Amino acid sequence: MDRRAFLGVGGAAIICTIGGKTIRVETPEDVAEVDAAVRRLQRPRAAAAQADGKDSVDGLQFGTPEPQPGGRVREYWIEAKSLMWDVAPTGQDEFMGHAIPKPRTFRAFAYRQWSNGFASPLGPPSIPGPTLEAEVGDVLRVHFRNADEHFGQAVTMHPHGVRYTPDYDGAYMGDYTRVGGFIAPGEEFTYTWEATPDSVGVWAYHDHGPNEDLNTHRGLFGMLIVREKGAPRPDVEAGLFFHQFAPAITKIRKNFQCVNGRVAAGNTPTIRAKVGQRVTWHVFGADDMLHTFHIHGHRWRAPDGTFTDNQLLGPMTSVTASWVEDNPGRWLYHCHVLSHMHAGMNGWYLVDP
Amino acid sequence: MRIRKAALLAAVPALLVFAAPAVAQDYPAPGNPGKVQKKPKGPFKTLRVCKKGCKYTSIQKAVNKAGPGDTVKVADGTYRQPVRISGIKKRYMKLIGNPAHPERVVIDLRRAKGAAAQNAVMVNGANEVTVQGFTAIGYKANGFFVVNAHGYTFANLRAMLGGVYGIYAFNTIGGTMRDSVGAWNNDAGFYIGQTPPQDKPVRTIVENVDSFGNVLGWSGTNMRYVTIRKSRFYNNGAGIVPNALTSEKYPPEEDNVIAENDIFWNNFNYYAGAPFELRPPSAEATPYPVGVGVLLFGGRRNIVERNRIFGNYLAGAAAVQQFLLQDESAKDLVGNEVKENQFGLNGTDPNGRDLVYDGNGTGNCFGPNEGVQTTFPADGSTFVPCPFGGANSFSAAVQQEMVNWALDGTHTAFWITHPHAPYPGVTPLETYSTYTGPKPE
Repeated sequence: MDRRAFLGVGGAAIICTIGGKTIRVETPEDVAEVDAAVRRLQRPRAAAAQADGKDSVDGLQFGTPEPQPGGRVREYWIEAKSLMWDVAPTGQDEFMGHAIPKPRTFRAFAYRQWSNGFASPLGPPSIPGPTLEAEVGDVLRVHFRNADEHFGQAVTMHPHGVRYTPDYDGAYMGDYTRVGGFIAPGEEFTYTWEATPDSVGVWAYHDHGPNEDLNTHRGLFGMLIVREKGAPRPDVEAGLFFHQFAPAITKIRKNFQCVNGRVAAGNTPTIRAKVGQRVTWHVFGADDMLHTFHIHGHRWRAPDGTFTDNQLLGPMTSVTASWVEDNPGRWLYHCHVLSHMHAGMNGWYLVDP
Repeated sequence: MRIRKAALLAAVPALLVFAAPAVAQDYPAPGNPGKVQKKPKGPFKTLRVCKKGCKYTSIQKAVNKAGPGDTVKVADGTYRQPVRISGIKKRYMKLIGNPAHPERVVIDLRRAKGAAAQNAVMVNGANEVTVQGFTAIGYKANGFFVVNAHGYTFANLRAMLGGVYGIYAFNTIGGTMRDSVGAWNNDAGFYIGQTPPQDKPVRTIVENVDSFGNVLGWSGTNMRYVTIRKSRFYNNGAGIVPNALTSEKYPPEEDNVIAENDIFWNNFNYYAGAPFELRPPSAEATPYPVGVGVLLFGGRRNIVERNRIFGNYLAGAAAVQQFLLQDESAKDLVGNEVKENQFGLNGTDPNGRDLVYDGNGTGNCFGPNEGVQTTFPADGSTFVPCPFGGANSFSAAVQQEMVNWALDGTHTAFWITHPHAPYPGVTPLETYSTYTGPKPE
């Protein structure tokens, strides 16, 4: 393991609790143990459990929301599927100017968007998954399919920020699991989420199935944007997730510190803008680590009203940074935990005059 | 007004007649598809069937000996007995003919009598059965038929010159139909009906199928969660007609997607001659009008998008309230979308009318679409572009005119005809006696 990879390994352990057993996941063998335990999980007796002497809230029945007057249904067709994922398709680290040696490929888990009715894929599986968008008053109707044939585990989609009933929470909770919290391989489920006035903002969605710890860290996460009705979009809008692919997950003796599933400028997203454009970045932390979002040559106003160029990110929290572009050139963005930056958590921002 | 009302009522059995279940005599009663059956673990065996020199010369006898997950492999040849795959003990069974050349493994029921003549292959109550690589011919009811099951795969099949439906799934949850042909059936080439509503809907995917020479290319009474994609529906009386009826459970049809298909030349006037026997006419019965590409007869949240729709002489894509449905709560069109389709093949092969809609219901929208030259009503007053969430603008006059089309005894009086552009490998069929394309044997 080289120096930079070693520095990036810190905090790589993941803690999983499966079937009452807590497993510290540090090695591929630990991961295999957790995966096997999750595969053995029986479907929760959701309906029976709710009627079987549990708390009265567990027997509550819920309807499916409709859009508010003037709102609309925004339908998405999303599948989850594992795939072999190369963290550095170009094979180059443009930031430090050297090759990124193999092995770089492992089995990840990703969301993929399809056209209506799962008629045709609208692109390859992606990390992060497709961005979901709505305006206040809309409902998001997300048709979700667990299409994985490798891991043999139930997965879900759990949203932040929008309003949902327990059925559409997408969370595995043992005997208290509702219908949307355990979507087994080959199954489909339609989540319905409301964009309420207090949903305005940028949020994460991610797997919250029985193996959320591993499968979110394998790539099952994405971004959800709710805008005010009729609100204009920025000219350039970037969504970035800072996260790691740890050795236990990848079975590779390196800790890949990633932006959107890739390491190092040249593989991570290159964001491009022109002077005069309204530019907005939404940057998430998508693992169990502390990160920061720092970009060279630019400043924005933080929530406390002060200006900043380096803002803290925790797990599944985000920073939104906006400005009108006025500084042309090649700029670097990165996490300012330096061991993360040097293990790949960086990328380019190119501004044309 | 009373006369008009009477005309509407006269149309009732007409529209029923084509979507009702086939009149086969050995249909199993539709039951609850039940719980998902446990996937067998094996070991699995392969039983071989051939005309000479194998342990089995009868497909049915091999099926009877097969256990869950086993494969019955059928050699090229013509077999003259029907096949029935029933019950949980046949779950995950594979019945495999010649997927590369399904025309070489034929189940020919033309000489069969009684119950044996009904269905060439029927799957009842067995989950995830695969039937692949066969031709069915001469069946009185259905070519390939699955009922009361969770999941199935029908692939590389040809259902030709038969009774009612070519390839048919009824009261099933999920499944796949692909790379198959349904032709010369006296009702529909393909049909999925009475899909149970589900908390966790499992979609049925239909892709790369050809349906031609049938009364209907696709019939979908109370069909749910079905995606029909990248397929071709042509030279039928009508192309694709998802519909709602109370003669089957769970009306209306809902949540279907018809995408990226070619739907063209559905102008087969089978009344003037057909290779199949027409179903008995009823004094009250008038079927779907001839010359329609896609017709939503009631339904909710169906999406018709990115299809090429051309050369249909009455209408390219139409939607009308299921005004005859007894269940008042299910008769209106709700949330259907017809968008991003290409009409008229860039002006070279127009439809009689590209879009037709009576304005019934709420949240139904049309467009943007490409190539729309004509609509009914001509002023476009019932159409709003997508997305749309409000009440639509109903026109009783438009609905009445659509009833008139269905009642037209000539079947062609309302056509607006145009010359067709060439389509590789397909010859237009309007009158069977003058049809110069390949006819069934």
